[in-house]
Amino acid sequence: MTSTDTRTSQGIGQSAPRPDGTLKVTGEFAYSSDLWLEDMVWGVTLRSPHPAARIRSIDLGPALAMPGVLAVLTHEDVPGEKHHGLELRDQPVLAVDRVRYQGEPVALVAADHPERARRAAAAIVVDYEVTEAVTDARRAAFDPACPKVGERGNILRHQPVRVGSVFEAPVVVTGEYEVGMQDQAFLGPESGLAVPAEDGGVDLYVATQWLHVDRDQIAPCLGLPAEKVRVSLAGVGGAFGAREDLSMQVHACLLALRTGRPVKMVYNREESFFGHVHRHPAWMRYEHGATRDGRLIYVKAEILLDGGAYCSSSPAVVGNAASLGAGPYEVGNVEIDAYGVYTNNPPCGAMRGFGAVQACFAYESQMDRLAEACGLSPVELRIRNAVSQGSRLITGQLIDSPAPLAGMLAELEAFPLPAASDGDLRELPGGVAQTTHGEGVRRGVGYGVGIKNICFSEGFDDYSTARVRLELAGGEPHVLVHTAAAEVGQGLVTVQAQVARTELGVERVTVAPADTTVGSAGSSSASRQSYVTGGAVKTACEAVRERLAELAAAHPGLTTTALLQRFGPVEETREYRHRPTFPMDPSTGQGDSHTQLALCVHRAVVDVDVELGLVKVVELAAVQDVGKVLNLLALEGQIHGGSAQGLGLALMEEVLVADGRLRNPSFTDYLIPTILDMPPMKVSILENPDPAAPYGLRGAGEPPTLSTTPAVVAAVRAATGRALSRVPIRPEHIALT
Amino acid sequence: MRPFTYLRAPDVATAVRAISAEPGAKFIGGGTNLVDLLREDIEQPGTVIDITGLPLTGVEELPDGGIRIGALVRNSHLAAHRLVTTRYPMLSQAILSGASPQLRNMATTGGNLLQRTRCLYFYDGAAACNKREPGSGCDAIGGFNRQHGVLGVSDDCLATHPSDMCVALAALDATVETRSEHGVRRIPLVDLHRLPGTTPHRETVLAADELITAIELPPPPSGAVSRYRKVRDRASYAFALVSVAAVLKVRDGSVSTVRLALGGVAPKPWRAYAAERALLAAPATEESFTRAAEAELTAATARPGNAFKIELARRTIVATLRDLLAEGSAA
Ligand SMILES: Cc1cc2nc3c(=O)[nH]c(=O)nc-3n(C[C@H](O)[C@H](O)[C@H](O)COP(=O)(O)OP(=O)(O)OC[C@H]3O[C@@H](n4cnc5c(N)ncnc54)[C@H](O)[C@@H]3O)c2cc1C
Repeated sequence: MTSTDTRTSQGIGQSAPRPDGTLKVTGEFAYSSDLWLEDMVWGVTLRSPHPAARIRSIDLGPALAMPGVLAVLTHEDVPGEKHHGLELRDQPVLAVDRVRYQGEPVALVAADHPERARRAAAAIVVDYEVTEAVTDARRAAFDPACPKVGERGNILRHQPVRVGSVFEAPVVVTGEYEVGMQDQAFLGPESGLAVPAEDGGVDLYVATQWLHVDRDQIAPCLGLPAEKVRVSLAGVGGAFGAREDLSMQVHACLLALRTGRPVKMVYNREESFFGHVHRHPAWMRYEHGATRDGRLIYVKAEILLDGGAYCSSSPAVVGNAASLGAGPYEVGNVEIDAYGVYTNNPPCGAMRGFGAVQACFAYESQMDRLAEACGLSPVELRIRNAVSQGSRLITGQLIDSPAPLAGMLAELEAFPLPAASDGDLRELPGGVAQTTHGEGVRRGVGYGVGIKNICFSEGFDDYSTARVRLELAGGEPHVLVHTAAAEVGQGLVTVQAQVARTELGVERVTVAPADTTVGSAGSSSASRQSYVTGGAVKTACEAVRERLAELAAAHPGLTTTALLQRFGPVEETREYRHRPTFPMDPSTGQGDSHTQLALCVHRAVVDVDVELGLVKVVELAAVQDVGKVLNLLALEGQIHGGSAQGLGLALMEEVLVADGRLRNPSFTDYLIPTILDMPPMKVSILENPDPAAPYGLRGAGEPPTLSTTPAVVAAVRAATGRALSRVPIRPEHIALT
Repeated sequence: MRPFTYLRAPDVATAVRAISAEPGAKFIGGGTNLVDLLREDIEQPGTVIDITGLPLTGVEELPDGGIRIGALVRNSHLAAHRLVTTRYPMLSQAILSGASPQLRNMATTGGNLLQRTRCLYFYDGAAACNKREPGSGCDAIGGFNRQHGVLGVSDDCLATHPSDMCVALAALDATVETRSEHGVRRIPLVDLHRLPGTTPHRETVLAADELITAIELPPPPSGAVSRYRKVRDRASYAFALVSVAAVLKVRDGSVSTVRLALGGVAPKPWRAYAAERALLAAPATEESFTRAAEAELTAATARPGNAFKIELARRTIVATLRDLLAEGSAA
């Protein structure tokens, strides 16, 4: 996306308007699915109907014989590496001799019309020998007789955390918790356009989260050097983690190189559910021990995460679940075991909150139980155990920047409570379907606290690159910012321009479209882009400023404009890294594995129709410490959106999977909150700077997703007295069984 | 989607002639259901006859005080029509509780009657489904059957009829009018849909070549109050877990008129006759309402996933009647 903003004073801290905002709202924004070239052809994927099967043979003949078909490919046509993957290259580009999940790509077709391509794909005859599907994560992990899903053992990663040795306490609460599989539910399905180039390479325009890691997986599969695969960001319709793994990228490139034609691929909604990873479903057992006055003595937990058929980012998800598994609380004795396992279920990977979400639901539920056992209010219990600057995480890592959790909770609790319903049906459970006019409705209030690591952890070389050029355009100074950072709807294009305006004092800034002709920006995930790419743009701007200062010193009396006129544009490219992180000790989990931690706390107020089990979230209030507000409007959008996704997980969102089969791949059957389900929010934003981060900022996109879910569930528990140990909760769990 | 021939019928006679000439042809109204079914390869008509140009778009008053609704009246239009909002507000409520504004703008009255189930297994071509593929079995029985029916279902099919509008129509004693080459038929709406039995693929009593032309409603019972209640998983834009359409009139403390229909629980819009029998002439009290609900639901059969629907239906029936009692006495 290109943006040129000529308004004044739209630097850091201003709610600079988004260049894509109006276009999206009016339906004019060009998404990747709108890409079009006159001579393009269409690619379609044939997918496995079985969660586990051996492939005996594939007969392409019937497809090849169909009119309009230009190419039909299988794994044999993959010229280079046959596998890709974010952390481990274990996922076949196209199934080789086995399929390991329902929906796994088996063959590709290119044809002159999408419907012809679909029909040809359907005509391919695959002879499958169905094998036993491993669909129970616990069995996959712990039953030695369980078949192996992949080449390795079924345990993808086991990360223990061990601290202290006191596992007895006067007050002990235990619980088992379950989190269903959530989908990112982005609106723009996987899509892109691959264009064969004259140099034998390929140009790919695609909606993704991380251009360079796409390229670094695509090129080896195509048997091409990285520089022959040029990836450009096309319009992204939401991501939330679901675009971090590859979907159609290699496929479209393979077809383009084979046919010599531009190839467009667009998944429909159903295929999209099979085309990306989901949030790991989790089964968690917790035991918290505390003194009678509610001070934590120990936390024990087993966290089991179903990674599905391929690795994706599961190991990092397990790392987060383990290291953040006790929450932002001081506790001296810890025994946590987090497992990620392979099964023949749909692959799971990145989704907003990334491993911290599941654990947060469990430990916050435990904190409520503990509060009850100790006769304390949920807020008081949390305040007594809250971390602060100078505390240590259970990994031993020092929290070395502000973490004012106790104060955040106190502020949240002091927010006035919303008034009782005035009978407006839209404000009541069941809404305008008039299931109640207030009778049978009980109010509940609940709190949730979340802690999320910002940026990549555990020793990952996490950086971003920015090229900044100060030049004259029409005789006036103008800045061109170029990075490979993916705008996925979070407002990053706007923030990059704001940084440049602030650093260079130039009002006219253009952010060039993101592509791989500049160095990597890393992923638009882990709430990291304002930090890392913001940092890279800032650093590059500083370098430009220095050069300009040198020129000015050598040529006193010349204005910036005059200098640029005489010496031409000043351009600098810089990489920016956050502080290094370190691996977790494989047997104790100890180590400075995170670079930054962010806190968000939520209060949910709900009205529950206790007869029918319907919930209306009346209000969500949040306090979040973001270090420094870069763009208030965009930031509030992140907090509202993250909270909506957390509300969805609490009350309705679940990918239904049984026997390895996904049963609700549509937005008719996979429900996400509507505007009537999402209440207005009160948000208080704190700015306690993190001295290690650019402008002191703290990543903000994920934390609100964590704390909303437990807050909503706690509120429903308060209204109903039900235990509610699984999300999403449904009417039948609240009232009817 | 398979290729098909597309025809546009300018008038009823042409539409009827076209469909009888083309076995396996389908009418298309708003297309909000049929197009999905074509895409999923569940319906495979060789010819699709577009009937949106037929002059069946009016809502008229009948001499007896009832109304006649053309089969091509869009759901939005019908819900907002003055004759409906004033005389049959429950019908309006039912329509507005369904789908989304965009869908209702497209959906037609005739299409709404004949929309097909939302059973997850019906939509998944790889699953066993006796409705889609007779004799193949029913994967809903051992699968996710939370959305499925508890009344009138069979061991071959648990699917529900998803319409909200039809539930209100069932309680309002609607009559469906059809045309074919063989003439005009009038069918009570409650008899339009069949129970699945061992032939769940046969969903209605209509012949393949019958065009729905209109729905007629008798005048609303005078002095009665009515209401549509829908329980669903989110505040808007979701199919019913349970819905209740009720018409109630109380005289001297006893029920003098009652009509009750249920949605979300059965393979067809479910007129709750047993409950009505239990209520008629009974004292208008919470106990009678409960007894009536139970009379209807004794026949219910549940699966692990949908057992809650029986209790949900009971509570929703009672609460709806309780509301109407209060409303009727306030009036
Ligand atoms: C996402 C989604 C959510 C929905 N939610 C709800 C809901 O909550 N509640 C609810 O009630 N409905 C809901 N619906 C269903 C919607 O109401 C129906 O799809 C709509 O009413 C069908 O009308 P149509 O005119 O579009 O039918 P079409 O799709 O055109 O036709 C449906 C069927 O009827 C036949 N047909 C149409 N007209 C005639 C005629 N005159 N004579 C004979 N046959 C005819 C067609 O051949 C076809 O078999 C939802 C639909 C969707 C897609």
